[in-house]
Amino acid sequence: MIQVRNLTKSYSDIKQGNIVAVNNLSFDAFEGQVYGLLGPNGAGKTTALRVLSTVLRPDSGTATINGHDVVTQPTLARYQIGFVSANTAIYDRMTAWELVEYFGQLYGLKDEKLKERMEFIFSRLKMNDIRDVLGVKMSTGMKQKTSIARALVHDPPVLVFDEATSGLDVLVSRTLLTIVSQLREQGKCIVFSTHIMREVERLCDRIAIMYRGNMLDEGSLDELYNRHDQTDLEEMFFTLISRHEQKTRLAKAN
Amino acid sequence: MKWSNIKLIFFRELRDQLRDRRTMFTIAVLPILLYPLMGMAFFQISQFMHEHESTIRIVGLDNLPSSPELMEGEHFHPDICNLAQARLLILEIQEGESPSGDKDLQTEAEQDINAGVVDAVVVFPPNFGQQLDKFREQFKDRTSNPESESESESDAVEIPQPQVFFNTASDKSRIALERLDVVLHRWRDSMVRENLARSNIPLKATRPFSMEDRDVSHEETRRAAIWSKFLPFILVIWALTGAFYPAVDVCAGEKERGTLETLLSSPATRTEIVYGKWLTVMTFSMATAILNLVSMGATGTFIMKSMESMAGMGGNMGTPPLVSMGWLLLCLPLISGLFSALSLAVAAFARSSKEGQYYLMPLLFVTLPLIMLPMLPAAELDFGTSLIPVAGMTLLMRALMESQFQAALLHTIPVLVVTCVCCYLAIRWAVAQFESESVMFPETERWDISSWLLHLRRDRGETPTVGEAILCGVLILVIKFFGGSVIKAVADSVFTDHANWNYFAFSTIVIQIGIIALPAVIMAIILTRNPRKSLMLTMPKWSYLPAAVLLALFLHPAFMYLGQGIVHLYPFDAAAEAAFDPIEKLLSNTPLLYLLFVVALMPAICEELAFRGFIMSGLRHSGHKWFAIVISSFLFGITHGVLQQSISAGILGIVVGYLAVQTGSLIPTMLFHFTHNATSMVMSRLNTTIVGEYQPLGWLFTALGKEGGVIYHWHVAVIGATLAAGLLYWLRKQPYEQYDEEILQEALDKATTHTSVPTLV
Repeated sequence: MIQVRNLTKSYSDIKQGNIVAVNNLSFDAFEGQVYGLLGPNGAGKTTALRVLSTVLRPDSGTATINGHDVVTQPTLARYQIGFVSANTAIYDRMTAWELVEYFGQLYGLKDEKLKERMEFIFSRLKMNDIRDVLGVKMSTGMKQKTSIARALVHDPPVLVFDEATSGLDVLVSRTLLTIVSQLREQGKCIVFSTHIMREVERLCDRIAIMYRGNMLDEGSLDELYNRHDQTDLEEMFFTLISRHEQKTRLAKAN
Repeated sequence: MKWSNIKLIFFRELRDQLRDRRTMFTIAVLPILLYPLMGMAFFQISQFMHEHESTIRIVGLDNLPSSPELMEGEHFHPDICNLAQARLLILEIQEGESPSGDKDLQTEAEQDINAGVVDAVVVFPPNFGQQLDKFREQFKDRTSNPESESESESDAVEIPQPQVFFNTASDKSRIALERLDVVLHRWRDSMVRENLARSNIPLKATRPFSMEDRDVSHEETRRAAIWSKFLPFILVIWALTGAFYPAVDVCAGEKERGTLETLLSSPATRTEIVYGKWLTVMTFSMATAILNLVSMGATGTFIMKSMESMAGMGGNMGTPPLVSMGWLLLCLPLISGLFSALSLAVAAFARSSKEGQYYLMPLLFVTLPLIMLPMLPAAELDFGTSLIPVAGMTLLMRALMESQFQAALLHTIPVLVVTCVCCYLAIRWAVAQFESESVMFPETERWDISSWLLHLRRDRGETPTVGEAILCGVLILVIKFFGGSVIKAVADSVFTDHANWNYFAFSTIVIQIGIIALPAVIMAIILTRNPRKSLMLTMPKWSYLPAAVLLALFLHPAFMYLGQGIVHLYPFDAAAEAAFDPIEKLLSNTPLLYLLFVVALMPAICEELAFRGFIMSGLRHSGHKWFAIVISSFLFGITHGVLQQSISAGILGIVVGYLAVQTGSLIPTMLFHFTHNATSMVMSRLNTTIVGEYQPLGWLFTALGKEGGVIYHWHVAVIGATLAAGLLYWLRKQPYEQYDEEILQEALDKATTHTSVPTLV
């Protein structure tokens, strides 16, 4: 479903010069699987997911979504993906229903089919009571639900959640994680980026640990525990980071 | 491009804007309320202005002649000043003789007027009345004894002249002068009437006939002509303002709210997004312009009618004729379309709505001269003005409103073509902004000068960036603007004779080296890692060198005709021609070798280093080689200062730019530039006599004008242009070094985006 090979993306920063936000990233994610990108702020998770969602172009490397290259076939790739970002971006002057309908139409859904799909999503996500609420009057939880409905409206095989739980309260976070689990059961391929260990432990089938643009390791939780002789994700995370820091220091010294 | 997506985005944005109270207030409520409120304020102010009294001091009343009477008591005589006028004139009579010294009198008047004690002072000098009476006595004598009349006798009486002191810097003082003038002129007229009566000359002798004015215009055309002076201007201004605020909201506002990223990851392409947003902005721009126009027209009509009924003023204007309004509405979509695309591209730069507001001013500064140009009294619709964006459209609207249909019809096509091309280019620019990652996802950290300077040095690329290239171009223009006068001042101090070759050579060389080449070379050394590559100082294939020389020679006749055409279109005014004359004379008397060095070789090296070297190298990082060629040519053109030269040089710059891209070196472009300028210099030395003496020259040239000048035969220009086209085609077929960004852009352009859209369930 998702194939990423040697993906590199850098940008120019006025203070720090050229920054490699994603360095040589490679991974595969399959249907019915939640692939977690775990890393602190500045690890390159958002940049990598923005490349997957075709809003950024990679400097080198390739990424395909369900067989469509994100650089050479961006429009086809966009049909395969539903993108939920951290900032719960929805239009202030549109109701939940109008917003989902708008994106459904952009994805080519029409009339009855669109209405049916929207009714299904709104009842599945328990959003019927906020149908006619304007974005500006929604709570953060309502906004995030609307964002998910918007991402699901065209029933994409791939879903990308970029720090989707940040800023949500415990109840809404829990609901969102439940929705993600349900989507996995429906056979969707999900990429879920977060810096919260518990979410990864609970949800992800495979994990990539990222730090300063580099993927430090990748595999299922058990594989990672065995490989690094650890039983705690947080401990393993810090061990990997300190090893990486050490390596970098040595490389600089040489 | 899918029109269904454009329609969807358009309707969404439209609904979004209609639900925004701020937008609705600016677009609908403000114009409806603004003009009536302004009208009310105008009435208040005008009443205040009308009621203001003027204080006038009169000095030397005892020096007045015996008749006719200027004063009655402490007021002007009712025969020369009616009651309404007298009410506005407060007279302060200074008793006794006027001060004897003129200087004291002037100082006192100046002090009192500046202090606001009085608004004007009128002084009748000693002997004024006495001398005047003596002068008028002669008319009596003439009547009794016509034989004795003599011109010299009447001229011999010297009459000291009255003086009126006032202050033009003060509105009150100027109004006082106008009121006083009316009264004094009437007084003088009555004196003339008396003189005529004494001489037994009928009053009609002074005006044996009078002209009867017959206005052939119809009332409606008259009204349209008055309204046409400012309604197009108002329409254009509001179309721009109405476009800008929605543009900021749909670009920067959406970035700020984070919704743009979601939209960019949807199947709508960047072009579809831009077109959808552009249609929205255009709708609001048109709505703002129409509402303002209607509200202003209604208020203006009401004010004029009220003034007419109150004081018999303003009766000519009436309401703007409906047909005129119809013409304006017909032209509005084009002008709104252009401004909407420009606003969208500019607003895309902004990170937030607040930042977007700051970009209105630069946009206004750039467009305002084009908007103001048609307001000049001499501006009229011709082929030349029809090619100027915005100004051409405004003049077309004016011509249509004034029923000048022949002129309008003749120039509608050029105006439409220019406006549509500009509109398309502005939309392409907006699309490019939406495709740029640095514009859509800008850095969020706070900018500070030290970090920026460090960044410039530390992160410098092999060749300059787009921003550095544009900065270089702007820097050259600014330095040339200010430095030009400094160089002139230095040259003035060194050389006494301005029509001197040394003066001309010194100014030209300093401008070329110091103002044009030096900034580019310094920037290349400081800001890039590879100054040689930045300035394109590489050796090209040998075959490119003769090709460049031939290309310049082949194109020269066509460019000579182009220059003629431009001058025909935009003729030099008398002052410009007078300024060129001494230079032309000077150049024709200078040895050709000197001339080739200063006028051909220096620009060929210096201008190429700057425009095709540093500037174009940087602009090519945009990923569009034609963008780089056109913008560098534009900057090259405007550096020439004189409009006619700028247009010609700008077009030439496109050919030279293309040559630079295809050959990857500045050496062929320098050769081209030198050959072109050198050929022009050599040609300026030719005349009909020389051409007549050497037959081969006769095959190339023919006489031009009456002063012995020559120009190429037209068929030489056609053959030359054909050969040049062949050479350019050959150049096109040659492989050239592309920038990484150009390769990426080419790949993106080729990428199939809508080949097979999956069917969704």
